[in-house]
Parts: sequence; C-alpha cells; structure tokens
Amino acid sequence: MSFLEIFQYTRQDSIIHRLDPRSKLFLTLVCAIISLLFLDIIPLLIIFASLLPLLAAAKSLRRWAKSMKGLLVLLVFIMVFNTLLSTGPYPFSYSVSLTLRLVALMTSFSLFFLTVHPDELSQALIQMRVRFEFAFAMSMAMRYVPTLGHEAYAIMDAQRSRGVELDKGNFVQRVRNIIPIIVPLIIVSIRRALSIAESMESRGFGASENRTYMERLQFRRRDWSLVIVSLGVLVTVLYLRFIVGLPDLFLWNIGF
Amino acid sequence: MALVKFDDFSYKYYGADSLALKKINLTIDNGEYVVITGPSGCGKTTLCRAINGLVPRFHRGYIAGHVYVDEKDTREHEVAHFAAIAGLVFQNPENQLVTLNVEKEIAFGPENLGVNPVEVRRRVEEIIDLLDLEHLRDKHPHEMSGGEQQRVAMAATLALNPQILVADEPTSNLDPKSAEKILEIISTLNKRGMTVVLVEHRLDLVAKEATRVVLMDRGRIVADGTPTEVLVADICQDIGVGIPKATEIYKRLNAKGLRLGSVPLTGEELALLIQEGTV
Amino acid sequence: MIILEDVEYSYDGIYTALRGVTLQVDRGESVAIMGTNGAGKTTLIKHFNGLLRPQAGNVFLEGKDTSQMSVAEMAKIVGLVFQNPDHQLFLESCKKEIAFGLKNLGFTQEEAEERCDQTLSRLGLEGFAERSPFALSGGERKRVALASVLATEPDVLALDEPTIGQDARQKESLARMLMEMNKKGRTVIVVTHDIEFVIEHFPRTIAMSDGQIVADGDTSSVLTHEEVLERCSLTLPQMTQAAKALRHRFDNVSDRLASLSDIESIATTLLEGA
Repeated sequence: MSFLEIFQYTRQDSIIHRLDPRSKLFLTLVCAIISLLFLDIIPLLIIFASLLPLLAAAKSLRRWAKSMKGLLVLLVFIMVFNTLLSTGPYPFSYSVSLTLRLVALMTSFSLFFLTVHPDELSQALIQMRVRFEFAFAMSMAMRYVPTLGHEAYAIMDAQRSRGVELDKGNFVQRVRNIIPIIVPLIIVSIRRALSIAESMESRGFGASENRTYMERLQFRRRDWSLVIVSLGVLVTVLYLRFIVGLPDLFLWNIGF
Repeated sequence: MALVKFDDFSYKYYGADSLALKKINLTIDNGEYVVITGPSGCGKTTLCRAINGLVPRFHRGYIAGHVYVDEKDTREHEVAHFAAIAGLVFQNPENQLVTLNVEKEIAFGPENLGVNPVEVRRRVEEIIDLLDLEHLRDKHPHEMSGGEQQRVAMAATLALNPQILVADEPTSNLDPKSAEKILEIISTLNKRGMTVVLVEHRLDLVAKEATRVVLMDRGRIVADGTPTEVLVADICQDIGVGIPKATEIYKRLNAKGLRLGSVPLTGEELALLIQEGTV
Repeated sequence: MIILEDVEYSYDGIYTALRGVTLQVDRGESVAIMGTNGAGKTTLIKHFNGLLRPQAGNVFLEGKDTSQMSVAEMAKIVGLVFQNPDHQLFLESCKKEIAFGLKNLGFTQEEAEERCDQTLSRLGLEGFAERSPFALSGGERKRVALASVLATEPDVLALDEPTIGQDARQKESLARMLMEMNKKGRTVIVVTHDIEFVIEHFPRTIAMSDGQIVADGDTSSVLTHEEVLERCSLTLPQMTQAAKALRHRFDNVSDRLASLSDIESIATTLLEGA
C-alpha cells in the first residue's frame, strides 16, 4: 500500500508543516485549479516543476518520490490506455498531458496531506464551522483504521489455524472463505465501538454545547502571506490563460 | 453523606435472562480504597458502570432502587454530569484512546465539558507531570505499549478532576511490571486523598493497599469488610475467588492447628509471622 | 516433536521479532513461554503451525522439515488457540463452530458430530451446543474457542494467554483440563504472563526477551533467577517472596522453593519444631 503514503501524514518539522492547515488548503486548491486549467505538456510541466521545491521545503521529497515509484505502473497503464482509446489528432501527446495533470493534482494534494496532522485537519474543519462531531468522526476513523487492519490479520491467523485455506479453491470457494473472516471482524468491531463509546461517554463527549479547545489554530502573518501569494499567482495565471492567451511555444505537443 | 450510595439497587440489561445486580446496598466514603472482586459474571463491571450513570443511561435496562453519587441520583442526571465526579478507567486501553496524541487525549474530557482552555492546558501539564508521561507527549496510540496506553487512559480520566476513580480491571491485559506500575499509581492517588474503586482478580497484588474488599457473586454483595476479614473467610473458596497465596497458607496452617499471629496478605508478612510463631 | 533451529523473523523487514531462536519441545512435555509484551512469544508460536515462516533457520515438526507443509497440514498436528476468542467464532451455534474446524481438517460429518459432543461434555459445555457463541460471556466464549481446537485432537496444543480474563475457578479448571491432555501424551505449550499459573502447573519454562530465549529449563530454577525475572518484566510471586524472606531468617530454607505446598510444608516444620 506504499502508494497511499503520499497522502499520509509524516511527522516532521519544516516550514510547510508549521503553516496553518487552512492556508495550506488554500495553496493546494490553487495548485489544483491551475493544473485543471491546462491540458498542454509545457504548462503542466512548469506547474509540476514548481511543486517540487514546495515538497522539498516540507522535507518530504524523498517520501513522495518513493510512493510515486509505487504508482509508476498505474501511471504507465493510464497513459497506454488513453493513447489507445483517445480519438483526438495526437493521442499520445494528449495522454501524456493527461497523466501529467493527474500527477500535478496528486502532488498538490499530497503536499497538503503529507504535512497536515489529522488532528490539525479536524481542528481546521471545526474552525471552518464544520460540526465537531463530524470532524471528530473523521479523525477517529484515521485513529482506528490501522487497528481494524491488525484485527483483520489476527482473524485470518485464527481461521487459518483452524484449517481455513484462504487462497485455495475456485472463485466460489474463495468467496465463501471470506465469511469466517468478515463475520468476526464485524462482531469485534461492534464490540469495540461500544466500548469506545462507553469511554467517550464517561468523559463527557457531546455533553456541552460550549465545547472548548485547548489549542486553536491561529492564522499568522506567514499564513496570510501564503494566501496572498497564492491568490496573486492564481489571478496572474487566469489572466495569462484567458485574457492574454498562451504563446505558441507553450502549446507545443508531441507530434503523434 | 457518603460519596457513593447504592440504595437497594437492582438492574437487568435489556435482553438478559437474569439480574446483573440484585438489591445492592453499598456506601463508599471519601478517601476509601475499595477493591471489588468476585467470579466472572458476578456483576462487578455493572456495578462500576452504575457509579457514573452509564448504567442505566448508556446501557438500557430495568432498574429498581437508586444510586446516589455526590448526593445526586444517577437516574436523574446525564452521564456527563458525573464525568467530573466519578472517572472510569476500563480494561482495554486501546478502546479508551480516541485521539492521535497524548496531549489531545488528556484534554479531550475537560474540553468536552467546556473547561476554559487555559485551565485545560494547566491540567494537561499537571497530569503529564504526575503520571510521568513527558516522553509520550506526542505519541500516537500505536507507538505505545499496553502499559503506557493504560497510563494515558488513566491520565485522560484524571483530567476531569474526579473525586472518585473507578477502575474496571485496568491491568488484566498488561504484563506484570506494567500492571504493578498502574497499581502503584492508583495507590499513590489514594494516598493523596482520591477515593478509589478497583475491580481486580489478582488480590495478591492489591489486598495490601486496599482499605476494604467487597466480594460479589451472582449480582449480590456476599462479603464486605477489611481485606484480612474478607480474604480469610471461607466464602472466597466457595464462590471461586483466588485469595493471596500467603493468606491461603495461613488458612492451611490454621486447619492443622498452627496459628499465626495475624492474617498475612503478602509473602513478606507471612515470613515475618512464621518467624514470630517460632520464637 | 517441535524443533526450531536458529529461527529469525522480522515484520516488514524492519521490526525484528525473533533473533536466532533454537528450541526443542519433546512429545508429552508441558512448557510455559514467558516474557514481556513484544518479546516475540506470539511470533514464536505462530511458527509452530506455519502461520509465519522463518526468514532464516528451520522448523521441524515430528522430524519433518515444515517448509513444504501448508498451514492446514500443520494445524492437524499443532492446534493453536489465540488470546481473543472473538477472532474465530462466527457461526450461529457452538456445535457448528466446533464442527467447522473438524470439517476443514477433513473429518466426515458423522465423525465431526461425534467428536463435537465428546469435546463439549469433556469441557462441561453440554448445555452450550445449540446456543449462539455471541450470546455467551467472554470467559465462556474463550472455552468454546478452546473446545473448537481441542476437538481436532492435535498432538500439540499451544495456547496464547489462556488465563487472561479468567477467574480463579476457571483457571483451575483450565489447568486441570490441560494437565489431563498432557497425561494422555499430548504436548501442551502456553504463552502467559501468569507466573503463579506456571509455577503450579508447568515443569518447564522458556523465558524470552527481545526476540531471544534468555533461559530455558526447570520452572523452579528459571523463575527464581533474578536476572531472568528482570529481563522478562516478571514480578516475584508471593510464595517466592515468602521463601526469600524466610531464607533471611532461617538458614535451612532454600530460596528456590516456589509452590504453595513447598511453603506450606516448610512453615509446618518450622512452626511444629518451635
């Protein structure tokens, strides 16, 4: 699952990590919008290239590169598939730019998720007026998904020890073999959920309309600067794209 | 009035065949260290849940009688109301840690109750200091051992500033050293004035520190007194409660007509009493 | 019966759980494996039925190299009972639950039913046959999970933390049942933190720490060794404490003694002599 790691928070101390999640969200959205504005190779390459220094500033370049490597097969597959199916005049050129756009989009979002702690994310959502219960549910999902994974492995071990052969037999047999895994997993999860709820209830979850927060996120000067710079870039790009128009050089494509 | 008072309290979970608690009368005063024990299914856990109103508020069922906590009837108030009076610690630490780092976990309870952020921060720092959690401050639950997780769960409960700590088999999933550490913390808290209710099977670990042992069987309280009084009684064997081995030796010697000066609860005490007996 | 030679295992190639474990358990032995959480005990017993395969070293079962054997084949010889019964129970009655494992291992319907009834009555669970395991208490579910493995009558029975959540009486009946199996020539291996349970019932103890075996031998010598206790995060049980305290006071007491009856007889001698 290493390719999912580009969306998984890594504990680091970097200038990007210290930014307010809301300003990072803004940056990410601006990057994503800009990537969606273009479908030509050169502009997309420029966007992609300008994301890399940001990743480097977040000290996450290596991790990003590692999981991108895991995605390489998928990207090549998309590229080949698109080339074969595309009906446009330059199918290969077109699918290269589509793939580039996808990479740029993923990189924009990865910049956000790599550097925002799930707790910060839920705090940001709360301060953006999302209800506490929803924001908290999201961060609890993050908390318990790995636990669920461990549990699934433990169940498989227990059932294999009773002679269940998970990877044997025809399709029907294999599907049937899932039942001894899935049923205990559901039951264990329900029991766990009850026990978690009990603990949360005992600590006053949902008790007060005026829930407080030990730490509130603060928009600092650096966050405002980031928002203003991003906005400036967005406006400039929109202006170039729609009012001025791109010079021919930027519209170059691979000739097939 | 007593801090906790069970007044002829009976309880049956919806869908259950039999009563979980039968006519419980029990008062717990400030500063006590009460160990509750009994065979599996005797109602210990239900009793704990009744102290902060989880029974009958969270676990629905049939009730008779009342439980008063800090003079308030648990039937008439929300669980949250008792959160700052009776803090519960449960058996499985993994299911009590709901956030992604230790500071947030400790802050979770007081934040829920709307405590002022400056005060929340103060409590977090105080408890991190008290339970020696500094090195765990930023840790994710998965980065901690079971013993560490349970310490954090206890910290998270203490952050509500409860008057009474109710711990339901907090050590049963831990290795012996971690268990010892948790029990040490509980006993220290008691010495600082906290009232403690602890459910525990392993009486050899806790009998020495407790001021009182309550024995339960099939939903009833069958014995209630000082540790030595209760543990030496034959009812322990009758209902299948394991008593400390030192106490067991006392009883066996007694049966042979060899009397020791008093009832030992630990190996050290036993050795001392044997020495006294031979002089 | 079971032989491990220099077995090494690490999870994801990062976290090393076993670093060169060599051990031999003979037919008919009863052995306790003790150690801190994360010492590698559970990883170790998962090698006994092939759930985990050694990344270096070998595992032999009844003299055969197991590298070519499937888990299902090994499960016929080694029955593993895990800590959490909820990880295996999934059918609507206890009887079906027990029959499930039997059928997986190749027993016919009639054989399965017969064994099922035998096992239930042996564990005193007759009344549970038609009941749903989900309606039972934790301790009862634990016994049903145990029954489902016992029914297959494996030569080796390995249990992970069987005493957790069990009260004194349940522990006693568990011990009695294990000793009975053992008398019939079956090998019993438990992983546990419960030092008193080990002292009273298991003649041999393997102590583990940090993926290695730090001591292997007579329970009475392994569990009185202070360094071993320290490394395995074990605390001295009451009777050993008493023995040590008595040794300070009386010269003729050995501080190696550990069981209840040992201390009882010493105390009797001392007191009657006075």
